[in-house]
Amino acid sequence: MSLIKAIGRHVQANSFAKYQLLTAALLLALCLAYPSLSLKRPVFRYLFVIDITQSMNASDYHQEGLPADRLGFVKASIRQALEKLPCGSEVGLGLFTTRNSQVLFEPLEICEHFPLISDVLEHIDWRMAWAADSHIARGLYSGLREAAARGVGTRLVFFSDGQQFPPESDTPPFDGQPGVVGGLIVGVGGNQPVPIPRLDKENRPIGFWEYVDLRDYLPPSAIPTDASSLYLTRLDESLLNQLAITSGLTYHRLETPEGLAQALQSPVLAAERVVAVDIRWMMALTALILFLMSRYASLPWDKLS
Amino acid sequence: MSLAFSQPWGLLLGLLAIIPILKSGQPSKAYSSLAMLPEDPISSWMDWGLRLLAGLAALFMAIGIAGPYLREQWIEKIGTGAHIVLLVDRSSSMNENFSGTYLGGSSHESKSSIASKLLADFIDRRPQDLFAVVAFSAAPIYVLPLTQDHQAIRSAVLALGGRGHGITHIAPGLAMALEYFSGQPVTGSRIVLLVSDGAARMEPETADALRQIFQDEQSSLYWIYLRNLKGGKLTEAPKNPNESTTPEYYLHQYFQSLGIPYQAFEADNPKALQEAIAQVERLENRPLVYREKLPRQDLSGRCYAAALVCLMILIAFQTLEVKAWNL
Repeated sequence: MSLIKAIGRHVQANSFAKYQLLTAALLLALCLAYPSLSLKRPVFRYLFVIDITQSMNASDYHQEGLPADRLGFVKASIRQALEKLPCGSEVGLGLFTTRNSQVLFEPLEICEHFPLISDVLEHIDWRMAWAADSHIARGLYSGLREAAARGVGTRLVFFSDGQQFPPESDTPPFDGQPGVVGGLIVGVGGNQPVPIPRLDKENRPIGFWEYVDLRDYLPPSAIPTDASSLYLTRLDESLLNQLAITSGLTYHRLETPEGLAQALQSPVLAAERVVAVDIRWMMALTALILFLMSRYASLPWDKLS
Repeated sequence: MSLAFSQPWGLLLGLLAIIPILKSGQPSKAYSSLAMLPEDPISSWMDWGLRLLAGLAALFMAIGIAGPYLREQWIEKIGTGAHIVLLVDRSSSMNENFSGTYLGGSSHESKSSIASKLLADFIDRRPQDLFAVVAFSAAPIYVLPLTQDHQAIRSAVLALGGRGHGITHIAPGLAMALEYFSGQPVTGSRIVLLVSDGAARMEPETADALRQIFQDEQSSLYWIYLRNLKGGKLTEAPKNPNESTTPEYYLHQYFQSLGIPYQAFEADNPKALQEAIAQVERLENRPLVYREKLPRQDLSGRCYAAALVCLMILIAFQTLEVKAWNL
């Protein structure tokens, strides 16, 4: 009986401080059970398909510290954008040439596999092409099929300069459902026509493509009278815009890596994923504050009680 | 060993540990004459001990909030395994099944899709091996560098099951596969595992250059030849020797002449392919120095536990406190 009385008196004496200390200890004990909260966060799942046809070797970017050629600029921009996407996002890489998009690897989580993804990106090269033509619409459609095969929520990001070869007047019809996959068509290059470098197998420049080299592949009407003139390329935005509309994608013109990173973080393209968030630190912070307060038990208000 | 903090600002809270050291938290008691009480060194020591303990508790909580962890680290181990470059044919003929029929874009019975599934199982069974992936048709494609990131290798091998395009051009693929080994220390057996359903004629200069690289890099070669039922056998000399109609036979002869460990496996059905992969597996179990990744290790739990122990002691002492002197 006297014990209960003693406890009662004790609680009265400095109840406030005592409870603060006990609560702090309780919170810390709970921390050991590793509590976490499930929160929804936006993440992205992308299949990047990069045009590796030879017009992508043309140089029409002029930004300090970044490659001038289209393919190099695309690679550097993707690399920078990857660093800005939230962890938990996934990225797969693919190549486009001729009529097809070919996937190198299925989407991988970007934070854990960043060194590997960036190494593979670095090695992407026009010499990997299995053929040299460029039928962009078909390549895009095949990219959309590949993205669809990677599951719901996988978006396609198709990088191309819109340079068809040989030139095509009609765009083959889109046989899928517009907007089912979703994603971006990224226009690469500038508005001014520039020549296309010719490179040898060791990647050494051996001049530029001229009409005379291509006369077997071009309709006679397309060859100028002066056949030795250079075959030029520029970003064909009208084609890419039209493709974006028919396939339900968004068109984005690649001007800076920051712009690409921003376009890739558009909420429209995000998927929500439940992520477990560690909340131990919040509980420990509360425990710390309570504990420090309990040290002030001898303050006037305690004495008064 | 490298320590890092996920929320370094939490360390600043550690400064607050000075508070419980200055403030004991023991309520003061009214007593008629303090001067009458003798000096008690044990009591003073205990008081300071408890203050320090309280400071320590606050410090542990602050460090815990800062989220200390050991970075993921690689440790070297010795086991059995190999460095394996998967050199996989992605030419359009790989879209056919073993009887040479084209099955349409999304078929699961094409040679490429069966090979990709079996290779994925193969890498799953070999967690210690390093793998690299090269896909080739008309030109070789650098898919993955030599890595132990098995999740990435798996994702690349699964992607190999998709539709292939173009013709078969083996020599540049072999050259790229061997390039992975160049300049790297030999820390285990090196293997190029070629999976293809055909071959093509090789220029004599290319053939000689490749022979040299194979010997320089001390690599073995395994060729899993996915033979079409109508296709030529590797061991049977063609009746009318002509390299353009039966390049496989000649490629086999060439590989045998390389002077490196070489073995070919013919597979003309999925089961034979599985058997071939199992054979490669049995062959390659030599000692290998490999690295294993220890995942990031969280230490904040230990800080909270330490803080909790301090608080428990404080609580225990608090229950011993004298409540009042003048009852």
